[in-house]
Parts: sequence; structure tokens; C-alpha cells
Amino acid sequence: MNEEIVISLKGVRKTFRDFWLRPTVNAVDGLDLSVRRGEVFGLLGPNGSGKSTTIKMILGLLDPTAGEVLMFGRSPRSLSARARLGYLPELSYMHPFLTARETLMYYAGLCGLSRNEGAKRTAELLAMVKLEDVANRAVGGFSKGMARRVALASALVGRPELLVLDEPTSGLDPVSTKEVKMLVKALAANGMTILMTSHLLADAEDVCDRVMILNHGKAVAEGRVAELGGSLEDFFLAKVGSADEFVLADFLS
Amino acid sequence: MNSFWRIFSLELTAAVRSKSLLLLLIASVAWMVAAPFLFVGDGTVEGSRALAVHYSLGGVAALLAVSLLASATGSIAGERSAKRLQLTLVRPVHYIVVALAKMAALVSLGALVLAAATAVEACRSDLSRPCRHVLSPILPTPREEAVMAYEAFMSNPDTPAAAKRAKKQVVLRLLAQRALDRYETIGTNSVAKWNFKVEEASAQADGLAVRLRFTNAYDIRQDVRGELLLRIGGSLWSGSVSNITQAVVEVPLVRIREGTVCCGTAELTFRNIGGSAVMLRPRRDVNLLSPADGFGWNLIRAYVELVAMLSILVAFGVFLGAGLGRPVALFTAIVALIVSEMSPSVIEQYPDELETDRLDAIGLYITRAAAEATHPISSLVPLEKLSEDACIERREVLRTATANMVFAPLILALLAALAMPRKVEV
Repeated sequence: MNEEIVISLKGVRKTFRDFWLRPTVNAVDGLDLSVRRGEVFGLLGPNGSGKSTTIKMILGLLDPTAGEVLMFGRSPRSLSARARLGYLPELSYMHPFLTARETLMYYAGLCGLSRNEGAKRTAELLAMVKLEDVANRAVGGFSKGMARRVALASALVGRPELLVLDEPTSGLDPVSTKEVKMLVKALAANGMTILMTSHLLADAEDVCDRVMILNHGKAVAEGRVAELGGSLEDFFLAKVGSADEFVLADFLS
Repeated sequence: MNSFWRIFSLELTAAVRSKSLLLLLIASVAWMVAAPFLFVGDGTVEGSRALAVHYSLGGVAALLAVSLLASATGSIAGERSAKRLQLTLVRPVHYIVVALAKMAALVSLGALVLAAATAVEACRSDLSRPCRHVLSPILPTPREEAVMAYEAFMSNPDTPAAAKRAKKQVVLRLLAQRALDRYETIGTNSVAKWNFKVEEASAQADGLAVRLRFTNAYDIRQDVRGELLLRIGGSLWSGSVSNITQAVVEVPLVRIREGTVCCGTAELTFRNIGGSAVMLRPRRDVNLLSPADGFGWNLIRAYVELVAMLSILVAFGVFLGAGLGRPVALFTAIVALIVSEMSPSVIEQYPDELETDRLDAIGLYITRAAAEATHPISSLVPLEKLSEDACIERREVLRTATANMVFAPLILALLAALAMPRKVEV
């Protein structure tokens, strides 16, 4: 890991407004965050804490109301920043009529890979996520776990330097969850910077170098997992508040 | 370009695999085949042909307009609500490329279905049937004529002060409307003269004719008799009119003197030798008809114009879908389509906002603005000319295609690109 900052948020605020431009929700409120190259950074928090909004601002899909968001020192909307990015959304939003191979070829094309390069990269990724046997089946008929693996492969198709994973193990069985965590560790070992959100604190504990805990749009704690002391679960509950505010069963499941 | 083709082929693949392309093709071809049997003409060959063209090709164009508009509004808005759009927007792709690729794919689908329908029309038509250039007299534009009339009106000391205070733009618009319907009176033994711009090749061919429609001060039928003389360079043609007012009269011209045809301007004179004065509107009631190429070429030009109409609809739909949610975008698009078709007739029926009350004036103002904004869609349908064997001019097709298949989609794609990342569902 080096000190190069890959993602930088300074004083970021996001206020959603209604039709009459009256503020309705302060989703993110004065957030400062920096992710260094080669780091696996976990963004944790209960539902409605502002994780998704933060991720969307980092991806350039939302404009902050105030503050500055930079990715590789540039606006997240710049083509050069987007060329170095891979993104796995919370759910696998696939084109149901495309096969797994066509899906990866499509995203390879969007990442600027030629047809030959795309085909080669697609074959590599299909082998990596163990979907070679079903590569020519439409993803609309895939199980949730298989679709998740296609989505993960499509996030990696452009050989990104930064991978943003929104709930990467969501909906996966324990075996697949373990495989994804091993993959994340392997990618991080190869120098990839990873920003991930998770409800499952065990996941964050296993793979993250550093975490930030968000609640009501604000950072309530940030630090290296090893330095937070005790279990992340205890620390989390202490920071987020009582179990009334956070459905314990949801994130312990 | 790689990204453009990937998005373009994705849209085509979706249309093929969802079978919507197949359904549209089947529905269009079936309608083209069935329509002539469903509608009964007036017994004449021309009437049957007009009905066949209007209802069959027009029906397919209408079907495509509505279905492509629905697909266009959903191409970005639908992707957004399915949360797939964000996966495209985080890739290194210019947003305008996303919009343009989606527009191009949908227009290509429409063009393919329309080509199948046009092929059916071509199979049952005589493609060598001659068409004619329909030329109108060279006159100042209605706007120019309105400005001249307005200046005369304002400088006239007898014009009441209250009338001079009327809004200039409104008066000019009314005068321009009236210039379109301005009548020219031709008294007994008087001569009326109009100039036309003709292409040399058309002027040298046989088959020149003049189309006229006379009326009189009482709007009743009376005899019309007159002599026509057409001069192009050193050549002369003549024809005689013997008919009645209110009827559309087509007079073939016979060459009476051979000469050079050099300047491209034709001078047509009409001498009224009847017993009473007759009237006509030069902008509407006089046309010089000259031979053009066959129906086959006219059908191809009509096809290009229809594709141009679909292009602007698709571009508009994609633009709306980029900035609005799908149901709102679709509703707005359908309302705009209906308004584009209805507003010209509303304006024609209620042209004079000075004579209405304030609420009507506001309504007319909005309708007029809507008609102006949607003019490129409502003015494009070339089926009337096609059914009348009137040549759809090449330069008109070129202008339409450039404006509606290049410039308008580019502008709308740019606007869509600006709107696209500002409308993300969290």
C-alpha cells in the first residue's frame, strides 16, 4: 500500500429535495474520507446511513450538494477516472436476454477493449468465476448467486485499478460468500484498491484494512480494523446506538 | 465508436430477442396487405390509390411512431428504473454516445420495418408511373408580404390610432396568414402573370401542364374561359381553359414555338376571355406541373421522409426519457404527438386571437407555441404528395433528412447527455 489517495471526499454533503426544492433528507452530512492505493476500505452502517448515496457520489452518479469528491485526483465523471473504475452494485442488474459471455463482451466494449481483447478477457473472467459451462446461457435464467458472479466479472472486465463493491456478498450462499471474500483478498494482494460496503460485519472484519462507520449521514468512527478494539460488532453497536436504531438480526444474519 | 456499436447492437439484440421486432414486422406487413381490402375508395383509380397509400403506409407510419416513441422513452428511463443505466454510466463512455447509440438503434429498427412496408407498397404499384413536379409561383414569402402591408397600414393617416396600438407581432402573423389566402381578381379581358422557377430538363420535356382553381366573389359556380401562355426562354406553350369555378382544372400545355430554354424561369400568363371576373389565390390555386421521375423514386423519397419523421420522434423520446421517469416521459411524448397533429388545425380554425377573449388568447398562444415547436413532426408526412403522384423534391428530402436525422438528434442527444447523470435513482 502506498500513500497515493485514490478516493477523496472533503466536506461532502448531499441533501435530497422534493419537487418544490424543499430539503427532505440530509443523506450525507459533512463527510471526509480518503482511500489510499492498494487499500481495502469498508463503508459500514445501518440502512439509511448514507452508504449508497456516498458510493453514488464517488461513482459520479450523483452530484454532492456541497464539498468535493475526487477519484484519482479528478472528477468522478471524467473519462480517465471512469476508465480505471470497476463497480459491482448491490443487486445484479443484468440484461436478462444476454448470455453471460455477451454480457462480459458488452462491458468489455464499453471499457474500450477490442473484440479480440474482449473475448480473451471474457474467457479469463468466466474461468475465474467458474461460469464457463453456462457461458452461453441467458443470464435471465441464472440463480442469484450465478448472476452475482457475472456481475462481479463484469466489474473486473476493464482491469480496474479501483473496485467499488456495494454489498458484494449480498444474496450469496456461505460457500460463494467465502469465494468472493477470497477473491477480494486476492485482488487486494495484487494491488487493487477496493471500496466496499457491507451489512455483514464479519465480511468487513475478514477483508477490510480500514473501515468507516456511517450513521445518519455522518462518520461516527474510522480506523484500522485491528485498532478498533474487540469485535467489530460490539464496536459498531456502541457507535451506531441501541439495537432499536439498527435491526440487529438483519446484519447478524 | 466501439462503445457506440456495443450499445447500438445491445438495443437491436433486445428488440430481436424480445420478439418486438418480429411482432412489428408481422403487424406492419399484415396491415399493408389487408388495408386496401378494408377501405373502399370513391370508384376512381386515383381515389383507390390515395386510400391505399394513406391508410396502409400511413397506418404503418402511425404504428411505428407510437411504438418507437414508447420504446424511445423507455430506452434510458427504463434502463434507469431497472438500475442498469448506472452500470453503463460508470464506464468510460461519453453520455452523448449512449443517447446517440440508442437513438440510432431505434431508428434503424423503425427503418427496417418501414422498408418492409414500403416493399409491399412497391410490389403492388406500377413503379414507372410518372410523377410531376408541382411548382408554385415565385412570390414574396407571406411574412415579407405581411411586413409590406403592415408598413403601409402604419403609414396610412386614416388608420385609427387604436388599431395602430395593436401588437406588431400579432398583426404581422394575421397579415401573413391572410397573405396565404390573398385573392387576385382577374377581370374580363385582363391578364394575370406569374413566374415559376423550373429546371431546364423538366422544361424541355413534353407534358407540361397548369393546375388552376378559380372562384368568384359569391363563391358560386360560373363558367370560366381563358387562355394560358407559358414562356421559358425562347419557347412558348399554350393552353385554353374552359371550365367552371370551384373546380380544380388541369390544363395540358402544347408547345407552339421551339426555342432555347436557358434561364430556368417560366412566365405564365392567363387571359380571362369569359364574361365575368374570376378570382384565385396565387399561393394556393396556381401550379405549374412538369414531368418528374417515376413513382418508384418518389416512394423511396417518401420512405426517407418517413424515416426522418421517426428519427425526430425517437430523439425526442430518448431525450424525455433521459430527464424524466418512464411513465411521465411517455405521457409527455404522447401528448406532444397529439398536440403536434392537432394544433395546426386548431390554429386554422381560430386564427385571430385579436377577436377572442383573454382566456382564448392565452390558449391560442400556447397552441401556437406548441405548433411551432412540433412543426418538424407534423409537417413531415409525405403521403399526400405520394398519393397524388406529386414529386417529393430531392432538396426537400435532403433538407428534412439533414435537419431531422442529424442536427435535431445531435442537439437532443446533447441535452439527454446533460440530463442523464442528474437523474439517478438511489
